[in-house]
Amino acid sequence: MEAAAITFFELEALDVFALLVIGFIGGLVSGFIGSGGAFVLTPAMMSLGVPGVVAVASNMCHKFPKAMVGAYKRYKYGHVDVKLGLWMAASASIGVWIGAGIQHDIKAAYGEAGSNLYVSAAFVIVLTVVGAFVLRDAWKIYRAGNTHLDDKPSRLARWVQSVEIPGTMVHFRTSGTRVSALFTVPLGFATGMLAATIAVGGFIGVPGMMYVIGAPALVASATELVIAFAMGLGGSIKYALHGQVDIRLTLILLAGSLFGVQLGAIGTTFVRPYVIKVVMAAIMLIVAASRGLMIPVYLTQLGEADLSQAVMAALGSVSFALLVLALCTGGIIILAAMLKGHRSQAPALPARQAPAD
Amino acid sequence: MQKRKPYVELTVSGLASASLYLLLYLYRDEIMATFTRTDGWYPALPIVAAFVFSFAHGAFTGYFWEVLGVTARLKR
Repeated sequence: MEAAAITFFELEALDVFALLVIGFIGGLVSGFIGSGGAFVLTPAMMSLGVPGVVAVASNMCHKFPKAMVGAYKRYKYGHVDVKLGLWMAASASIGVWIGAGIQHDIKAAYGEAGSNLYVSAAFVIVLTVVGAFVLRDAWKIYRAGNTHLDDKPSRLARWVQSVEIPGTMVHFRTSGTRVSALFTVPLGFATGMLAATIAVGGFIGVPGMMYVIGAPALVASATELVIAFAMGLGGSIKYALHGQVDIRLTLILLAGSLFGVQLGAIGTTFVRPYVIKVVMAAIMLIVAASRGLMIPVYLTQLGEADLSQAVMAALGSVSFALLVLALCTGGIIILAAMLKGHRSQAPALPARQAPAD
Repeated sequence: MQKRKPYVELTVSGLASASLYLLLYLYRDEIMATFTRTDGWYPALPIVAAFVFSFAHGAFTGYFWEVLGVTARLKR
């Protein structure tokens, strides 16, 4: 028997409770915006003391069954573009495989702190750039006052849809788009690479499907669940082959997140489409700040910076507080939007109903 | 027309899910030792476990919200 190359952390009752709660809210966010459980769960687990690679591996192993349950639910609501999901998933799987290999090599070369630093740096860069972009878009929709409308394709998406490359064109019916596979494949690959690194590819995948391919936010967020399932499964197999999945963490997270993912999926049928973008941007930016605070700590552990123990502990506490804030912000926006949508629900539904308002 | 609430399904899936989690708790050390082995077919164990738990617990959580009356507002 080959010894597992990692040390697993001791689980206390409080840790189990924390995992159940963050699992639930992570699932809620995931069912709602298609992804996003992991960007909260991975750093939250790391803040509890789980080594970076075990956090990513265990999280990924909980992601694919959660995504499967969420995708099934949202498929029943007509949100899932199965064909787009499968195209993206196929290319994302290659990205996951390569990304997981890089993660493994970094841990072997630079150890635990190096691995944590790499995961945190990827978090900060991707979440800040994409989060700011999504927030700008949500703000523009809000300012224009047409929040009740379905989203219009971006200028980039209109250009992508206008490019005709013979032999590569694919029609995605649920998304209402026809684009060249030469655009979807690199997008899927990038989604997979990111997923293997920070266990959340959705922050490339969902904005990519919205702004590059031109899928509506509801379809993009639901289709991401299909991709998350495929990537999660591929990545989990890779991590399991290295013995890095802590199955206790995986299944405890699943216990909470399956409640959340079902509620989040139900929630998408109550709210205006732009709320998906607001939730996404808000959480991404707060988590980016949280992970950014941890970078000097990991640099100190690698001997590249010189912080006192007290400063490192303080940074860790503030970082964790920001995560809790991100979690609560996402959960509160979703639940408030659901409540608002529920209150405005007409007593009898007309046969053809305008978008939720 | 009021749809019948799935109380029986909720109970059955709830018992199945609770039993699985009880087994995980009782045999946690043995499970951890076995599930992190990297030889043979042992790496398949975490994947299979995730599927099995998601079917039982996923069914339970679905019925849970349905029984509470939290259901989708579908556009047709």
